[in-house]
Amino acid sequence: MSARLVIDVSELPHHEFDTYDPVWWGNNFLLAIESSMFAILIATYFYLRQNFAQWPPPLGQLTSSLNPLPDPGYGTANTILLLLSFIPMILVDVSARRGYRAAAQRGLLVCLLCGLGAITLRAFEFSAVKFYWDSNAYGSIVWFMLGMHLLHLITLSCETLLLTVWSFAREFDMKHRVDMVALAVYWYWVVGMWIVLYAIIYFTPRVG
Amino acid sequence: MKQQSKHIKQATVELSTAQLAREKAELERTWARPRGVIGWLTDTDHKGIALRYVVTAFVFFLFGGLEAALMRIQLARAENHFLSPDLYNQVFTVHGTTMMFLFAVPIMTALGIYLVPLMVGSRDVAFPRLNAYGYFVYLTGGILLYTSFFLNIGPDAGWFAYVPLAGPAYSPGKRVDIWAQMITFTEISALCGAIVVIGTVFKMRAPGMSLHRIPLFVWAQLVTSFMIIFAMPAVMLASSFLASDRLIDTHFFNPAEGGDAILYQHMFWFFGHPEVYIIFIPALGFVSSIVITFSRRKIFGYTAMVLALIATGFLGFGLWVHHMFATPLPQMGQGFFTAASMMIAIPSGVQIFCWIATLWGGKLSFKTPLLFVLGFVAIFVLGGLTGVMLASVPLDLQIHDTFFVVAHLHYVLIGGAVFPLFGAFYFWFPKWTGRMLSERAGRWNFWLMFIGFNLVFFPMHQLGLKGMPRRVYTYLPETGWGSLNLLASIGAFILASGVVVFICNVIWARRVGEVAGDNPWSADTLEWSVASPPPNYNFHDLPTVNSRYPLWSRLENSPIVRGLSTVKRETLVTSVLDAQPELRFEIPGPSIWPVLLSIATAIAFIGGIFTPWAFLVGALAAFGVFAGWFFGDPNHENKTARNTGERSKTPLTNKELQPGEV
Repeated sequence: MSARLVIDVSELPHHEFDTYDPVWWGNNFLLAIESSMFAILIATYFYLRQNFAQWPPPLGQLTSSLNPLPDPGYGTANTILLLLSFIPMILVDVSARRGYRAAAQRGLLVCLLCGLGAITLRAFEFSAVKFYWDSNAYGSIVWFMLGMHLLHLITLSCETLLLTVWSFAREFDMKHRVDMVALAVYWYWVVGMWIVLYAIIYFTPRVG
Repeated sequence: MKQQSKHIKQATVELSTAQLAREKAELERTWARPRGVIGWLTDTDHKGIALRYVVTAFVFFLFGGLEAALMRIQLARAENHFLSPDLYNQVFTVHGTTMMFLFAVPIMTALGIYLVPLMVGSRDVAFPRLNAYGYFVYLTGGILLYTSFFLNIGPDAGWFAYVPLAGPAYSPGKRVDIWAQMITFTEISALCGAIVVIGTVFKMRAPGMSLHRIPLFVWAQLVTSFMIIFAMPAVMLASSFLASDRLIDTHFFNPAEGGDAILYQHMFWFFGHPEVYIIFIPALGFVSSIVITFSRRKIFGYTAMVLALIATGFLGFGLWVHHMFATPLPQMGQGFFTAASMMIAIPSGVQIFCWIATLWGGKLSFKTPLLFVLGFVAIFVLGGLTGVMLASVPLDLQIHDTFFVVAHLHYVLIGGAVFPLFGAFYFWFPKWTGRMLSERAGRWNFWLMFIGFNLVFFPMHQLGLKGMPRRVYTYLPETGWGSLNLLASIGAFILASGVVVFICNVIWARRVGEVAGDNPWSADTLEWSVASPPPNYNFHDLPTVNSRYPLWSRLENSPIVRGLSTVKRETLVTSVLDAQPELRFEIPGPSIWPVLLSIATAIAFIGGIFTPWAFLVGALAAFGVFAGWFFGDPNHENKTARNTGERSKTPLTNKELQPGEV
């Protein structure tokens, strides 16, 4: 027998939202990695722009009257859709925290539709860029930016799909409620990143 | 935090031997590691993963060393025909790539993965499955590089693969593609390691280990991990742009279509310079641990040391252009980078002086680890001095791409990282294996490496000043470079014999080495409070700490943590700043999904060398794996909670909880 001073942690919870949970930190650091990636991508965009007298470059000798700027229609529609998707995702966020299963399920379903809608609109956005990836450096970087963001829309939608299925098929347990809150952070990040890319791709060529 | 403190009680309890033995048996069952081939693929124990990293990276170190030996044989005399020009190109490319990406970064991460959880008092890392995935991805990258090398299609455009040489016009074939995808694999692995380490340091520290009590080793790993997060994306993009220029005809680096070759250099060195610090800062952590232990003193200037580490981390991002002084950049910009490059000497100097001040009044115990640290100080100071020289633009233009640069970078990297690493091997080998390495062989090991190293690389300074360019497969006798090259080649074999002594020492010690015991060096950090090698669950009861040097300040008087499950893989999660207990966090156990995910990753990136469709296949496979990962687990958390109820925690005693005074 030996007497020891102890601290008893047996009453501590297993899960808690936000900074308490290691998952929250892991998720945010993954987003930090992706943020540095997009920052370098954006720097590349402006770096390459220095090499062009006209940005985007003219569409060619015969068609020089044509506007080489990307049509902002689909991009703007996508921006509005993604901004609107904040509403169901905030609903998921709040319901996961408070434990409202039905509301979270509804929110997740709407978000899933928004994600699929954004992916579809993105396909049209590529066609609104007047160049292919192999036309010139402008085409390469714009396709790459749209593509990297598309990749995030896809992973985001896949993650939403998994959590949606879970919320219907399995328990609405704390572990997965924490995951839903982390998903919401990811969602806000993807939308926020798109606002920046949208402004850069569609509007910075029109100024200066 | 405040909110959780109501859940925590303090007490004095009597723990019977029988109860402790029962708990031990339960912990061993709960944390048992799977066996056999499937076990190897599914194991997630941080110590197991870390030692795998160490062994794999060391094997790559030996490969890299053999390639260096081949180059030294080739250069030993003028107009030698030992290696063909093409093979020589492959050998120096694979040597550099191996040493930087397959040896230096992974092995530094590996020591962190092994030691950080033990040093902060946790049962495992925060994300053990991510950790396992990181290892398999790294292994894939290494196998890819060496398979191509042995098939004589190894990369041959240098370890930084500059365009236009590495671009589609001048490097047809698959060689550079293999290099680019190998980069992707090793970077994914490094990023996983960084997140694992940060998560563990932020959230898994023992109660009481507030920020100002974190061991310097752990600080070094933390700063390194942050650097990885901000530096690695640059090279992943650079290598992706390069691969897409080569495979799907994009024009990022093609000047004819508005692309830019200098852009590649910016992107590469925005990663490449921090990379040097990613390799070097963990080594500073080893040095601090060894200096503290063998001088028997608390570190001089702990706060200054921590600030110097963080300052180095920040400044490391402001130096990259000094690799590009020979490109037409604005002079104003070059001046800025010269100033930043010289400024980095300040935090490095602070650390060197703090170590000297610690050693100065200490009772030094001249064991092998300390010898390697002293060797590090000598070599690294020399490398630092040539670094200050190279930071000056006019001098750099004169000796750019000569052997002077080769000498400098080896002084910095071997002096700054490999010597501390060997010191760390001697220091922590007893903890990993339970046995001591031979001191006598250790001395031979050190002196052979120290003398050999200086013989190889010191003459290269002079060769560079005399104008010998790097990466040439041979030279003419009239140049007069022959004798210094011969000296360097002789030195290479002395250096290699030091490594052979080390390998023999390890084999000998594994069989008949002296049994180490828990704390053979009377060191101060928590990993020395547990058995050697540590049990799978690390700590029977998680410790709490009340000083920076827990084992020197009577750890046994510090309270222990009770109330965690013995039948689930539970560990304590604490707050970021003050390490206040917050959660009983269940750590995931062995799993097949990480290795399956790494296979999906391999399909995408290796297949991508041949067809872009491979990315689609890999992505679909990855989604399948994620779905399996997400749903396939037998919902262990809820199930175990139901089956075993709340009886599974380490109980206080049968008696009522007695309020104790602290």
